[in-house]
Amino acid sequence: MTEPMEIGRRVVERLRSSYDDVAVLLRTRDKVMVKLWNTEPSIAQSWLTTEVALLLTKSKRVVILGFSVSSPEEVFKAVENISGIVERVEESELYAPLPEPLEVRPVEGMFDPGLVHAMNDPGPLTWKIIDAALSQGVEKVAGALTLSRELRTLVTSKGFEGGEEKTYVETYLRAFKGEFSGHWAYGSSHINEYEIRRVGVRAGMYATITNSKADLQPGRYDVVLSPLVVGNLMNYVSFMSSALAVLMGYSMFIKYRPGERIASEKLTLVDTPRDPTLPNATSFDDEGVPTYDKPIIERGVFRNLLHNSGTASKLGVQSTGNSGWLMPTAWNLRLEPGNLDEEELASELRNGVIITNNWYTRLQNYVEGVFSTVVRDAALLVKDGEIVGDVGRVRIAMSFPELLSNVESLSKDVYDIKWWEVQTPIKAPYILVRNANLTKPHM
Amino acid sequence: MSFDEGLLMWLVDEGSALGASYVEARYQNDYGLTVALRNGRVLGVASFKEEGVGIRVLVDGSLGFAATNDLRREGLREALDKAVSRARSMASLRRRPIQFTEEKVGRTSYEILTRVGLGDVTVESLMGLGKEVYETLVKLINQVKLPVCTFEARTHMQEKVIVTSEGARVRSRVPRMSLSANLVLMHPQKGTLQRMKDFESSGGGELLKEWRPVETLAEEVKDLEVVLVRGVEPPREPVDVVIGSEIVGLLVHESAGHPMEADRILGREAAQAGESYVKPDMIGRFRIGSELATVIEDPTIPGSNGFYLYDDEGVPARARYLYKEGFINEALHNRHTASIFGTRSNAAARAMNYASEPIIRMSNTYLKPGNMSFEELIEGVDVGVFMKSYMEWNIDDIRWNQRYVGLETYMIRNGELAEPIRNPVLEVTTQGFYSNVMAVDKELKFYPGTCGKGEPSQGVPVWFGGPDVKLSKVRLGVSA
Repeated sequence: MTEPMEIGRRVVERLRSSYDDVAVLLRTRDKVMVKLWNTEPSIAQSWLTTEVALLLTKSKRVVILGFSVSSPEEVFKAVENISGIVERVEESELYAPLPEPLEVRPVEGMFDPGLVHAMNDPGPLTWKIIDAALSQGVEKVAGALTLSRELRTLVTSKGFEGGEEKTYVETYLRAFKGEFSGHWAYGSSHINEYEIRRVGVRAGMYATITNSKADLQPGRYDVVLSPLVVGNLMNYVSFMSSALAVLMGYSMFIKYRPGERIASEKLTLVDTPRDPTLPNATSFDDEGVPTYDKPIIERGVFRNLLHNSGTASKLGVQSTGNSGWLMPTAWNLRLEPGNLDEEELASELRNGVIITNNWYTRLQNYVEGVFSTVVRDAALLVKDGEIVGDVGRVRIAMSFPELLSNVESLSKDVYDIKWWEVQTPIKAPYILVRNANLTKPHM
Repeated sequence: MSFDEGLLMWLVDEGSALGASYVEARYQNDYGLTVALRNGRVLGVASFKEEGVGIRVLVDGSLGFAATNDLRREGLREALDKAVSRARSMASLRRRPIQFTEEKVGRTSYEILTRVGLGDVTVESLMGLGKEVYETLVKLINQVKLPVCTFEARTHMQEKVIVTSEGARVRSRVPRMSLSANLVLMHPQKGTLQRMKDFESSGGGELLKEWRPVETLAEEVKDLEVVLVRGVEPPREPVDVVIGSEIVGLLVHESAGHPMEADRILGREAAQAGESYVKPDMIGRFRIGSELATVIEDPTIPGSNGFYLYDDEGVPARARYLYKEGFINEALHNRHTASIFGTRSNAAARAMNYASEPIIRMSNTYLKPGNMSFEELIEGVDVGVFMKSYMEWNIDDIRWNQRYVGLETYMIRNGELAEPIRNPVLEVTTQGFYSNVMAVDKELKFYPGTCGKGEPSQGVPVWFGGPDVKLSKVRLGVSA
């Protein structure tokens, strides 16, 4: 099969005379996932794929193609099929010429040869996670272990050529004991057996931390949110910080300007493409712009929307190196830690609920940031500093501006989280939020 | 469809020779075009094509899947080898071997015929429609502003060829059209209101007229303007609540469809979308609601979004009664879960694309309608609430505790719709809802959705629907 860089060069060379801008992005993946249910594998899935995406512009008209092919000839055939369309499309209000190439400083350390070796037989690693949870006395586990190797290649008609090879591991486990369950997750560019075992240990710990149920009446409570919950909610904040989300009405940031206070001064959320330990690290974005780490929110102040060249041009600013051709996106996230250890944070809570996992976050109104999310796994009622039982599947229902403003403390330890409900990897601490609205069914 | 079926048959033979007791080779090609506009101006056009082969094997009682878009013989062979070897390497971690039921499988081909083929749907017509929507809505409103009106139109052709070691040979071709709009209405004192509206069906370009999207969105925006400007808080005391078919459809999808997926009941999705409140011994015995609680799942509805005639294991599709007259009745099965339950597959295996394993999915799910009109449904309500549409919703991971926040919502006074109200919250348990169904009208309507499930997550097109439903004495909440 032709090498990706060679495919990119040939495509750009062939098409550059017909279009103002051409960019070719190729992703070649070798990936394996073992899925677990009832403490045994349900399926081992493997993918060997090459995806080609093509950006073509002509007279400010923008066409994007995405297809799965394995040779330049197939790319040319696909382009031929849509060639008439470009002339018939109207000018895009988000058109900007592809940027001139700048020097790209590589992000080192994104590739783990040991991870590639483990892909040949993921069984032993899978067993380590299961065993770690079973050692906590749980009855059964479910989860997934994914190991992936990816080559990402970008060639543009402005002369940018870049390629990066990286690896990642993503694993999560849900452990059950009777009516109680616990969940933990881990995502990294490297295999770290201590961290991988800790997924099982933490899931088991939360499944067995109490064997009592506790009643909770709907109302306002102080809550500690685990890094899984923080990761899920900060994924929504980062999505809304995309300039396209603002333009398309999917963002509370439509109401704010950089420099405005929107959160507690304890809160700093950073887009971290240059953190090589997280799975989405990269040195250049999809337009070849060098990446850099930047705060979205810094000490409670809204600092940056995330831009590609098109949204930056539309809003009169510079690209932030977050292209997506249409949609700018965060690469990795970091919520800056605080200075408390986890016991101190729980002690500061005193009375309230420790929420260890959530899912199904949905918004009534993105502009106002009004949302609810459903609690799952251990949700621990704390009275006078003691855990008195599990409150079950209640709901957090409030607005993001209120939640962000009510963050009072953060733990000093952070965890590398990526799982089904946290797609953008994040380093996140536990956080203490005052006065969160918790609800449950009326009938 | 030009793909050589002989390659799939070769894969099946090679997989069997490697020791697989079951081999399923599926060629799938999904392709189409998307046009996106914002406030009547074009953002861009995207063309997509996902073409490849997914191979599933059963080896020593262990299941393996591999996908590739390298359609040369050596590329397919490499994928097959990975599927077999990795399934075999996991076999030692299994306590019980996975087994499939024997089924009568299809040897056939089918396709949806269109009056206007997807290839004849022009970019100009889609852009024109997006502009017409924006220009119409902007002219229509006078008390609020419309700062954002996004519009997306999409064509999607799905072609499949399925070959299994047990003799299935099924070719299918299903075209789909979809439109979606995101509208933000803004008032300087009353704040904002957001509506996302989708149209999606199997069929061709003729749907663009049949849906009447401009008129439908115009009617909604006029009504929503009134809700934003004049809406008041919902009543605090318990009242009769009439739930519109849009919410009923979503509700039955979430609280009848998902909990009746047999893989979920058995725990296969436990770490992702969760388990089910339904346990195997409840099927056929447990009363979940009133006699009006009959929920049907039917992939064979012509023109539906979730349409198929054979599932991705080659089993012929039919209607399934998930809840029947208040009882939990029939789960959705593939050949694996049917084997564990000691029953037969009812053809619920679907895959999003070539790179996805077939798993148990819904297709078109709806609550059985009744005989009365909407006017008859509300005529006996002295003080109540009618929730017509929603934005926010969610449900817990066992499909018991759910929440729907009303968008276009009205008081009912003396049997008639009265003043609008804002953001009432219906937060109920599954049994709480189905047990409180007092009456249903005859207005069966369907709404499109993309249902997410699986790891990696697979979004598949579905319809959900129902009539309007009356509940007795419900205490509503108020959104934050």
